[in-house]
Amino acid sequence: MLTDRREFLRKSMLAGGAVMASSMLPGFVHAATTHAVTILHTNDVHSRLDPFPMDGSKVQGQGGVAARASLIHDIRTKTSEVLLLDAGDIFQGTPYFNVYKGEPEIKAMSRMQYDAVTMGNHDFDAGLENFANQLRHASFPVLLCNYDFTQTPMEGKSQPYKVFKKGGVKIGVLGIGIELKGLVPDNLFGNTKYNDPVVAANATADLLKKKEGCDMVICLSHLGDKYEDNRLSDEILAKESYDIDLIIGGHTHRFFDVPRTYKNKRSSDVIVNQVGWAGLQLGRLDYVFSAEKNKNLVNANTVAIGKKPSD
Amino acid sequence: MKKTRYVPCVVMLVCLLAACTAKKHAVKLEYKDYEINKTYVPDTGVQQLLLPYRDSVNRAMGKTIGFTTKSLAKKMPESELGNFMADCMRVMASRRFNKTVDAGFVNYYGIRADLPEGNLVLGNIYMLMPFDNLIVLQQVKGNVLREFLNLVASKGGWPVSGIQMQITNKQAAGILVGNKPLDDNATYTIANSDYVANGGDEAQMLKPIPQETKGYLYRDALIEYIQELTRAGKPVSAVLENRVTYVN
Repeated sequence: MLTDRREFLRKSMLAGGAVMASSMLPGFVHAATTHAVTILHTNDVHSRLDPFPMDGSKVQGQGGVAARASLIHDIRTKTSEVLLLDAGDIFQGTPYFNVYKGEPEIKAMSRMQYDAVTMGNHDFDAGLENFANQLRHASFPVLLCNYDFTQTPMEGKSQPYKVFKKGGVKIGVLGIGIELKGLVPDNLFGNTKYNDPVVAANATADLLKKKEGCDMVICLSHLGDKYEDNRLSDEILAKESYDIDLIIGGHTHRFFDVPRTYKNKRSSDVIVNQVGWAGLQLGRLDYVFSAEKNKNLVNANTVAIGKKPSD
Repeated sequence: MKKTRYVPCVVMLVCLLAACTAKKHAVKLEYKDYEINKTYVPDTGVQQLLLPYRDSVNRAMGKTIGFTTKSLAKKMPESELGNFMADCMRVMASRRFNKTVDAGFVNYYGIRADLPEGNLVLGNIYMLMPFDNLIVLQQVKGNVLREFLNLVASKGGWPVSGIQMQITNKQAAGILVGNKPLDDNATYTIANSDYVANGGDEAQMLKPIPQETKGYLYRDALIEYIQELTRAGKPVSAVLENRVTYVN
């Protein structure tokens, strides 16, 4: 009996080891194997399902969810390791929202295979119950680690983070929401409890790196990139963070020319990016990861940034 | 004796686990912002998905909700369109909050279109008030209301309801609230958009004052107000009654 059990354990260990060995083999053979992951992102699309009308404005004919879907499809045919993310304010801004309260927005995003989103302040505009109801049409999770939705219609309908495995890279994505008081009418956010984003993001990122063993941590943030006054922003969060590698931002509708780089508390690079609003742009970040051993990396990691050559 | 047989296996497993958890690090990043435009052939699946929504939204925006007997445009210090909108702010706030509202205001720059002569469709109201501003109530002391009206005066005069005043040297003078002189020590209930009540358009004096809100969009109030007039057979209109005048 005892021998059988030992024999079983021995066999399963060997079998397990063999599986792991084979899966790790390329890594052993090529010490400097690199892994590529493409991150696509939007923010503050604000119910802009149709292109801007041809009314002579600067952005006439631009945007539109069908054109975006076609671009995303093109990219997916050339790159398999894609993560598609949105940093909130999906809702509000066109009559589509006034009439349908977000249903076509969520359906279109599910069709485009968004991997995860966070909530913006305007996603509360038709009430939390409506947002929760519209999630019936969502094939992606809503990530938030600093809102406590206990005793609200959103209770159990969001999660603090999600771990993705893309191209052999383990990526943890977490979500951060802005302070609602003063921004969103009290009756719309109800019992939602707002917790300090820096504390929540750092704790969640720590968990993702240490417990979940993630290689990269992405924060979806609706804080806004930066402000004239000392209001909490992506800039402040980046500098106050320890384990966040990338912040996909929103709220301030800023079109970045170049992703911004900050140093976190460990002197490692934190990248922040945002692509304006209204679905006028799709952001693309092509990351290359190295599995090369480098003792310094634990303390400080530097990312070389450059413009992607046109494809 | 038997135990030693497992040692190599365990060592191997530990090594493998260590290899598995060896972190990969981002070393390089290439970025690109794609402008979404007509060079991308619209995805037919998404087009199909949107079609019924688009048709019905367009139908809804084309729905006639009222009429005018002449075109209405905004003007400082007072206009028929402005008076109509400010009255709507005060009347609909009073009804929704079930309270007496002493005064209602509309920030001039928030009025984004004229109303044409003839039939009004829902789309006209979305163009007039594209912003999703909420109606909020605030209880303000007379001296704070005076400060706010001085701001309104300095900007050339915004639409007001329940208020009469003159503008002299960009200051509010001869202020009447509900036909009575403004009392600096009295408390007044005023209706504004949340944008203004939150300090927008330099209305800093209103920012610290608590707000009462019901998640009621000002645009929805305009639509309901117009639909009521229509049911009563009345056009969207207002008269000029010297609510705000320039006096030198």
